[in-house]
Amino acid sequence: MSLPALLRAIVKRLVAALAVLSGAATLAFLTLQLIPGDPVAVMLGPGNAASPEIRAEITHEYGLDRSPAEQYLHYLGNLLGGNLGESYQLQRPVTDLIGDQLWPTVQLALFALLLAVTGAVALAAATAGRHPALRAAASLAELLAASTPAYWTGILLLTAFSFQLRIFPVAGAQDFASLVLPAVTLALSLAGVLAQVLREGLEAALAQPFVVTARARGLSDTAVRLRHALRHAAIPLVTLTGWLTGSLLGGAVLVETVFGRPGIGALTLQAATNKDIPLVIGLVLLSALVFVVLSTVIDLLYLVIDPRLRTR
Amino acid sequence: MPVNRSRALVLAAAGSLFLGACSGAGDTDGAAAGATATPVSGGSLTYAVDTEPVSFDIHASPQDITGAIQRNVFDSLVHQDSKGEFHPWLATKWSASKDLKTYTFHLRDDVKFTDGTAFDAEAVKINFDRIVNKSTKSQYASSLLGPYTGTTVVDARTVEVHFSAPVASFLQAASTPYLGFYSPAAIKKYGSKLSAGGAAAVGTGPFEFTSYTKGQSVTLTRNPAYKWAPSTAAHTGPAYLDKLTIRFLSQDATRVGALTSGQVQVADPIPPADVKTVKANSQLQVLTTDAPGANYALVLNTTQKPLDDIRVRRAVLRGIDIDTAVKSVYFGVYKRAWGPISPTTPYYDKALENTWTYDPTLAAKSLDEAGWTGRDSDGYRTKSGKRLSIEWPLMPQEYIREQRDTLGQAIQADLKKLGIEIKRPRLDIGTYIAKVYGGQEGIADYSWARFDPDVLRLYFNSSSDPREGGQNATFYKDADLDKWTDQAQTTLDKNTRQDLYAKTQQRAIDLALEVPLYVRTAVVGVASDVHGLKTDPNTWANFYDTWIGK
Amino acid sequence: MTTLTVAAPPRRRPRLRTAVRPAHVATAAVLTLIVLAAAFPGLFTSASPVDTDPVHALTAPGAAHWFGTDQLGRDIFARVLYGTRTSVWLGLGSTVLAVAAGSVLGLAAALGGRWTDQALMRLVDALLALPPILLGLLAVTILGPGTLNVMIAIAVAFSPGYARLVRAEALVVRTSGYVESATVLGLRRPLLVVRHIVPNALGPLLVLATVGFGSSLIAASGLSFLGLGPQPPSPEWGTMLSEGRNFLATAWWIGVFPGAAITFTALSVNVVGRRAQARFTRRTDG
Repeated sequence: MSLPALLRAIVKRLVAALAVLSGAATLAFLTLQLIPGDPVAVMLGPGNAASPEIRAEITHEYGLDRSPAEQYLHYLGNLLGGNLGESYQLQRPVTDLIGDQLWPTVQLALFALLLAVTGAVALAAATAGRHPALRAAASLAELLAASTPAYWTGILLLTAFSFQLRIFPVAGAQDFASLVLPAVTLALSLAGVLAQVLREGLEAALAQPFVVTARARGLSDTAVRLRHALRHAAIPLVTLTGWLTGSLLGGAVLVETVFGRPGIGALTLQAATNKDIPLVIGLVLLSALVFVVLSTVIDLLYLVIDPRLRTR
Repeated sequence: MPVNRSRALVLAAAGSLFLGACSGAGDTDGAAAGATATPVSGGSLTYAVDTEPVSFDIHASPQDITGAIQRNVFDSLVHQDSKGEFHPWLATKWSASKDLKTYTFHLRDDVKFTDGTAFDAEAVKINFDRIVNKSTKSQYASSLLGPYTGTTVVDARTVEVHFSAPVASFLQAASTPYLGFYSPAAIKKYGSKLSAGGAAAVGTGPFEFTSYTKGQSVTLTRNPAYKWAPSTAAHTGPAYLDKLTIRFLSQDATRVGALTSGQVQVADPIPPADVKTVKANSQLQVLTTDAPGANYALVLNTTQKPLDDIRVRRAVLRGIDIDTAVKSVYFGVYKRAWGPISPTTPYYDKALENTWTYDPTLAAKSLDEAGWTGRDSDGYRTKSGKRLSIEWPLMPQEYIREQRDTLGQAIQADLKKLGIEIKRPRLDIGTYIAKVYGGQEGIADYSWARFDPDVLRLYFNSSSDPREGGQNATFYKDADLDKWTDQAQTTLDKNTRQDLYAKTQQRAIDLALEVPLYVRTAVVGVASDVHGLKTDPNTWANFYDTWIGK
Repeated sequence: MTTLTVAAPPRRRPRLRTAVRPAHVATAAVLTLIVLAAAFPGLFTSASPVDTDPVHALTAPGAAHWFGTDQLGRDIFARVLYGTRTSVWLGLGSTVLAVAAGSVLGLAAALGGRWTDQALMRLVDALLALPPILLGLLAVTILGPGTLNVMIAIAVAFSPGYARLVRAEALVVRTSGYVESATVLGLRRPLLVVRHIVPNALGPLLVLATVGFGSSLIAASGLSFLGLGPQPPSPEWGTMLSEGRNFLATAWWIGVFPGAAITFTALSVNVVGRRAQARFTRRTDG
């Protein structure tokens, strides 16, 4: 593929990405206008000590006394300038809040992804096309992992390893040890799905002629599996991993809640339950951005990996 | 303070509580467990709390936790001990005018903020004026200042604080961290950014606010120049601890786990279910203290059917087996309440105790008399075809503390036996506030911590209208209650106040305006190597005298 | 196990059908139990799921209370049983809603002309950009908590997936020779939809919905776990699990059993779904 063509593909992608992002922002803004209830009450929390004068002051300060159309234009204007506004509840800039909370979640997601992919590859490579009983057991394990809610896994792991055995700290994000249990929790359900798909891919690959050729060349079983079949099965794995990475943000909501970790998930829950509109929109945009970036990367990756796709 | 947000540390009702010592200990003996041990300077301590402040601005925030954390960073004009007596702090002496409309304070001349600015009369004026400035959006401190009209700087060391009406409770208010003092330089520099905490929070206290990581922790470090502790403290000079870290662990199990596994040295609160486990651990101890202020109660809206009928209110009051419910939900750790305010609040009326015990027969009779004699297919009482149903909304889960939702289920079950349906829809916080404080719900539930019986005015005076930021969600207008609670604010005479406040408490129960449920109790778990942990008399933890031993 | 070995297919010719067979009997049994528990919880226990008994609070599992009791002395076994209906109903209802909404969206996109297709599919894209839990959370934020609202929220979260599938199937069918000839023959659109597209799209849709049911159940219980679902005292697995979270160190049984109920239900449904998927794929692959 020529360089200009690649560039054109990238530009096209970026335009589409911008469209999705602005669409998501508008959609979020519109839906949140439907929310009943007064944002000022959100800012003031469960107490009632604020006088009507203070309420009026806040309403005016945040421009909530203006029409929705004006608010929308104002919001878009700020958005273009990279300003996501200020959280109603925490009264801090949304970009600062997201920036502060991003790193713990990124850590968690990356580590969980690493665990999930390694685990899935190991399990699939070890069991694909093996003894039926072994495969049945692996299949059941995968299904079980995929069927167990992460919030329950988290609670079980906490009870066993933090409360009973006291191997890992019970909460927080202060060191590596506190990352292990949340990451394992998040990785388990992911690994279940990945292993299922990968094993099917491997089994299909092992049935292909090139495997026979490889064996005929005298390669060991392990070498065949790892060097040839696995590479063949890697493409669906890349796609799926990309998709699942996006879903990690959702998983983080529950896992961060269970383990008392700070992060985007915890922030999302707080923002959503408090109807903190600017923060919710900011997080929706973040999520859409993650999605757009991931799918772009995956698509471009294909263009690089698989020459057949380039002509399209 | 305010409603429902769990207060952070209510170590002692007032006054200090010493590890190993009994809670009757006076304010001035600062000995810790092992009274013979000599305090050592240095080390750091991690303190786990269940709530994270939304705002760190002491002048704006209504949250208990804000006061609890900032108590270590900000000093007050006066210090109040467990008996309600006032002692010099940033003010060396003070006087009140006869009409209780003007208070004069003489200030220490050696106090400096941690940014080097001197603390003087001008600083007092700037801070108090900031509190009432509407751009501060104060939700609590401004109500403590009440009918404030202004501060006069007489000279660098003397200020006069003026009010348009008598304020008998002002000294108490002035002793809280909410009327503490920011450095005027910090106010000028950071203004509205003070809510984010961190280095902007410049005070005169024993600790400096070093950093804040949202969702995780706050770090305070020792103020090496500190030498103006109130005389009631156990020592003078800088605090012993180098560093104090406050971790936010909202999950009960997690917080307790962090304490038992040694990740934190102090955890607050310990849920009642875990008290036994923590007590059994030789490395830990438990401090249990009743909080002052208004007890956790069901506040009955007297303007809504069917609770506008006193007979129905009385049936609710007598138809809940509070003893059993409180004992089972709180494992005997919290005491049931008998009146609107807790036993540790000044002018508590002990005479109310055991006067309105659980009596389902009486409650049923009262409902019969009120005409709720029919029964529908679900077993609920009816009157002219209408079911006896009361709505008592639930807040979002994150605002619910102390398993109040579980206690609510026990109450629901008791009242169901009587034939009263209690509906508990879950509302978002905006709708909740609008409906409960707009008088559209049958029952509201909250408590209000303050070491002053003036909470009775807040709760029962008809001028304390929730639609105007008040707290009288009974919406009841009673000439006597208004008169008594107003009068008590105009006098410092103890006998008069005793009489007025006792009558108020009894009348509130007579009219069945609320159903007091339990006395909020601070249960703090502390590692045994922590010594000298003190609380501020207004119930906040004070780590000034705390040191780490062996 | 030995019979399995005998019945095993030759190596390198894997067949998923046999891979999940050991679970079939167990799955059928569990599913029957779930349906029975949802329909007639009273069959299995005489205890009430809501009556409190403070004297016997926090009793460990034993003969009197198989799954122990909670903080108010309620029987956990009874609560898990009675919770089946709410929880399964949540999963089922939201799946049905999602399939219905997704089908309407997908059909409208496939048959409604280029602009409708573009508009609807961009909407679906935007929705797919958000993880289901996040979408559900947003929907509950707007609707407020409660059983029905959680159901709708989860339906909103999962419907884009169904919409895509239905659109794709409909497009395949629409452009296939026999439908084109049907159009030429003057068959009207609604009739076309009913006669040809729906029956063809139904198979893959059912398979996806079966797998989707498990995910819906887990997601809906997740929202309940966050305190947004059915309100106490009504028993629901996710809500019970979150109540049990405060007793991890003292009374593990409060949280463990409702969690196990969610897992086993989702697992048995997923086993069925996988089998259907395997069969279906084989059938369509020829």
